[in-house]
Amino acid sequence: MTGTIPILRIGRTLLATVQTDLRDNVANAFQQDALSALEKGGMSGLVIDISGLEAVDTYVARVLVDTGRMARLMGAATVLVGMRPEIAATLVRMGYPMEGVDTALNLEEGLERLRLQTRT
Amino acid sequence: MLFSAGGAVDPIPPGCSIQGRHVPFRTVKRLPPAQSVRNSRDKPRGIYGRVRANLWAAGVRCGRDAGKGVSMDHRRYMKVLKLDEAEVQARRAFFELTDEDLQRLAGLRPFAEKNTDAIVEDFYRLLLSHPDTKKFFPDEATVRRVKRSQCEYFLGLFGGKCDLAYVEDRLRVGIAHERIGLSTKWYLGAYRKYLQLIGDHLFEELRDAGRARQALESIQKIVTFDIALATDTYLAAKIETIERHQAAIRELSTPVIRVYDRILLLPLVGAIDSHRANQVMDSVLLKVSEAQAKVIIIDIAGVPVVDTKVADSLVKTTAAVRLLGASTILTGITAQVARTIIHLGVDISTMHTLSRLAEGIELALSLVGKSIQATKTAARARRKRKASRR
Amino acid sequence: MSVSVDERHEMRIDTEDDIALVRRKVRDVAKACQFDVFQSAAVTTAASELARNVWVHAGKGNAVIERITDDTRSGVRVEFHDDGPGIESIDRVMAGGYSTANSMGLGLSGSRRLVDEFSIDSAPGRGTRVKFVKWAPY
Repeated sequence: MTGTIPILRIGRTLLATVQTDLRDNVANAFQQDALSALEKGGMSGLVIDISGLEAVDTYVARVLVDTGRMARLMGAATVLVGMRPEIAATLVRMGYPMEGVDTALNLEEGLERLRLQTRT
Repeated sequence: MLFSAGGAVDPIPPGCSIQGRHVPFRTVKRLPPAQSVRNSRDKPRGIYGRVRANLWAAGVRCGRDAGKGVSMDHRRYMKVLKLDEAEVQARRAFFELTDEDLQRLAGLRPFAEKNTDAIVEDFYRLLLSHPDTKKFFPDEATVRRVKRSQCEYFLGLFGGKCDLAYVEDRLRVGIAHERIGLSTKWYLGAYRKYLQLIGDHLFEELRDAGRARQALESIQKIVTFDIALATDTYLAAKIETIERHQAAIRELSTPVIRVYDRILLLPLVGAIDSHRANQVMDSVLLKVSEAQAKVIIIDIAGVPVVDTKVADSLVKTTAAVRLLGASTILTGITAQVARTIIHLGVDISTMHTLSRLAEGIELALSLVGKSIQATKTAARARRKRKASRR
Repeated sequence: MSVSVDERHEMRIDTEDDIALVRRKVRDVAKACQFDVFQSAAVTTAASELARNVWVHAGKGNAVIERITDDTRSGVRVEFHDDGPGIESIDRVMAGGYSTANSMGLGLSGSRRLVDEFSIDSAPGRGTRVKFVKWAPY
């Protein structure tokens, strides 16, 4: 895998953990890596843990939302977990509330949410 | 000028006496009890206990804790007032306080030493004859002590120096006055009297009117310099007070309550301007994240006016809470508020809104997989009543 | 009300990595002003958006990041400058919002909502200058 965002496989779920400052090229590489992993098949969910994300802008936000949408097209539900309060506030104040992607408080809830989704 | 401590403190809102060092309001994460209070006896209980503990951590003292905090020292004043070497030079230049003046003042020191006691006596006669200034000198011991300090203060004018050390020294005095609540008009009136007294002594002593006038001018310049410092101190202190009050208001105006496991409740009360609306959003997000709450109920029945700005802020808050992975339930929605929100034109299909708080609580419980049921005794009582009626 | 500059940093924006460096510097200055975490995020994001605009649309430019104080409060002032193509219709771009695909519009209008003072000076062939100030709360 290229890029510096580690992606783990837990059963049929992919788990990615994002660190402090997401540079553009790292974000792009992450999207590539996530989609290649999903392409291999057999994945039903993608959890992106952004509890370590300290700064965000519309580019990063868009990469995350697009990744979620692309994953859905490939048959995997995506959920963003652990967004920091100040990141959520900033996104909303900017006018970019990231609609179209599911969210959860933490990893546990994220996995639970995916489980509920794949059941329906 | 030197007045005694023991007078009134600056005006404070009723019910809470607030003093203490200013620390800008930071997001205070949930503090483990042992660290957040001075000893375990003061373990914060309930929402007000927690609020007081958080305020304590932020350097604000409430109620019975008043007066136990640290206070702003002269160094911080110098920072707030931007009193550095350059500023001192600029002030000296504007007041035309030259090195020549300072030398003249140093040369007048013997004169000052000879006449200071008499001047101080006259000076205090004035202060003690007016009830508003007399109250700062409750007893003889205080008067004696202050007179001594006053002599030192006057002599300080003739030190021949006007540098940062001098400024620091004068600031300490100004701060002491501000702290005891001495208003600027008394301060200025006192300086005026002092100048009159020293002028009289000068003309008497120096005989030569020209030299006396020159000397008086130099004294006036350094006194002006001192007065500028003193009034600046008052300004800085007021700013600090306002900041402290703001911090307290912020903390008290968004009391988020944990009503159940993972369910928070925020009863909004009072007028909400855009400033407070921002604070509400920040506060809500912090508390939801901290408590890992699944639901927060925001009740707005207590908000008298919900205009488009407030409605927009609530909608944004709901969106932000969703980004955290939790849900918001808005309750207390009146017909007028409903109209305002609809007119905003935002997508409310995913918003939970209700008119009554009770319904909000029931919905919140269902979102965490719980519900309220009638107990067996109540059901049995109902059946009994039904049976007896037949 | 006079404004004094307590700290000043000038940074080039030549590469994609420079965006992150600008972000970091702004965050440091915000910390020095004792911004809380929400304000810090706001000003950092605004700076990031505008730095990206410079890089994407002009390829290179610079940013001046200052910590300022007026008589009562301190704040962060950032100015971006580039000699890029310039913006033909600022109003139209600013009104864009996030529903358009125009990344610059989103960045500009979004940033403006995050700060206290905002000004933009741009025209085709004249490059672009964007300046904003965010104050610490009173």
